[in-house]
Amino acid sequence: MQPTAPTALPPTRPAPAVEVRDLRRSYGDFEAVRGISFEVQPGEVFALLGVNGAGKTSALEVLEGLAPAGGGSVRLLGADPVRERARVRPHLGVLLQSSGLPGDLTVAETLETWAGTLTAPRPVAEALAQVQLADRADRRVRALSGGERRRLDLALALLGRPKVVVLDEPTTGLDPESRRQVWQLVRDLVADGAAVVLTTHHLEEAEELADRVAVLRAGQIVLAGTQAEIAETQPATIRFTLDDDAPEPPRPATAQVVSSRPRVEWHTRALQPVLAELLAWAAEHHVVLRALEARAASLEQAFLAVAAGTESSPSA
Amino acid sequence: MTTTLPTPTTTGPSRARRVAALARGETRLLLRNRTAVVNSVLLPLLLVAAVPALDLGGEVPLGPQLLSTAVGVTLVFLTYYNLVATYVARREDLVLQRMRTGELTGPEVLLGTAVPSLLISLGQVVLVAVGVAVLGEWSAPVEYVLPLVAVLAGTAVMTVLAAASTLFTRTPESAQITTLPLMVATTSLSGLLYPISGFPDALATVARLLPVTPVIELLQLGLAGRTWEGEVVDAGGAWSAAPLPLAVLAGWLVVGGVAARGFRWAPRR
Repeated sequence: MQPTAPTALPPTRPAPAVEVRDLRRSYGDFEAVRGISFEVQPGEVFALLGVNGAGKTSALEVLEGLAPAGGGSVRLLGADPVRERARVRPHLGVLLQSSGLPGDLTVAETLETWAGTLTAPRPVAEALAQVQLADRADRRVRALSGGERRRLDLALALLGRPKVVVLDEPTTGLDPESRRQVWQLVRDLVADGAAVVLTTHHLEEAEELADRVAVLRAGQIVLAGTQAEIAETQPATIRFTLDDDAPEPPRPATAQVVSSRPRVEWHTRALQPVLAELLAWAAEHHVVLRALEARAASLEQAFLAVAAGTESSPSA
Repeated sequence: MTTTLPTPTTTGPSRARRVAALARGETRLLLRNRTAVVNSVLLPLLLVAAVPALDLGGEVPLGPQLLSTAVGVTLVFLTYYNLVATYVARREDLVLQRMRTGELTGPEVLLGTAVPSLLISLGQVVLVAVGVAVLGEWSAPVEYVLPLVAVLAGTAVMTVLAAASTLFTRTPESAQITTLPLMVATTSLSGLLYPISGFPDALATVARLLPVTPVIELLQLGLAGRTWEGEVVDAGGAWSAAPLPLAVLAGWLVVGGVAARGFRWAPRR
């Protein structure tokens, strides 16, 4: 009898470090988070985007164990961050959107105090080097710049070698150089296997760091996926300028004309065929398409469409 | 399936070590506040100088009277008022919320923050005791346990009442107003300066139910063998008179503890 080929095993999916199911949170009658669900794998960065008041921080506060869920469930490394706080906390690093530190302690004293409360803290010198604050170790916190304070706050979040890191707008107030240093820090964390959940208003930051993105509006996830998947929900753009004596350009069926000559702009979900048709027409009629641009949709476009309520094919 | 918590390979710091770590940081902060340090030394010295000069005419000997007044004053002004102001300031500065994101539990954050104030309170009482000895007014206590219980339970009561008072105190400045009712009531009616036995019966009954009065009663029972009515008792008599003040303290501890459960860690939005 001919041996049958072994049935292929289903592809193994890594277990999530963060698991959010139908999470809800209300303030009185106002429902700030209305049933959101997502997972974050170890070694993955998940970005929650949304305009102010979309529910990002309200959702994160439940992940951080600072507030109970009004409904649904949250699991960090398999445990409830509120009810099983003592088990979760040694593995969770949190950077709040805004928080304070006593101004009259030095940077090193602040880290030493915090380290004394943790299960397995990094050496203070290592933590200082991690956020480029080694030369500020003996400076009082009140004398630090806003960016330096943010980096100290980040050092505190990472001091306990967390496996899950929640970063609420981590680079707010940072200069471009410091922002890039923080990005590298996040990449290093992910390379070490940490799961990172972050919110940001800087779409460039999400594009740089996030493996997957969810866009919130009014407490609900209206778009979710990889950056490419989210960008695909929006049409690509073709722009070019026509001289006055050029013939009328073609009108591809799959393109929407946003503006006509002299500066022409088309939106299309079939970028390649429409562009090919345009180039063929230009070659045939010897037309120069000045300042020609052809660009796939960006995360920013998708985000702005969500903010305006004009996104297509919402998914979560 | 979810990635699960790793089996712990390192034991975390004990509750006491976590509180001690935070208390060390808080003590550093306090020692850098020169005004607070100077005041904490001056206050007991002023008290030692002022109380004998006032000649309040009570039945309790001067030494125990000074010590019980010192404990009462530090409980009201240092433990209660200072802690309300400190907790509210830390909350408004978003420090408390930051601390709660770590491994410290809520009660540990509150206790660690309170330790410097409690240590200063203790230091002030010791300074007054030294002052009493210098004045030649020291006499051996009738009973040792009751004063100790009074100080510990009084400290616990004022700490939870301070945490509870933050529920209706939004800013450190408003603490000067919100703490006034308790401070005025206890300062004037709890036997710190005027003996309760001199009050009308109804007022004395109410006064004995205030949170600091049982501390003063227990101190004067233990240190001088005097009941609140001025009756002289021995050690056994002191214990016989102790159940009511102990019950009042326990009651305030429960009330304050329940109220403090609503403690807000972040400013109101």
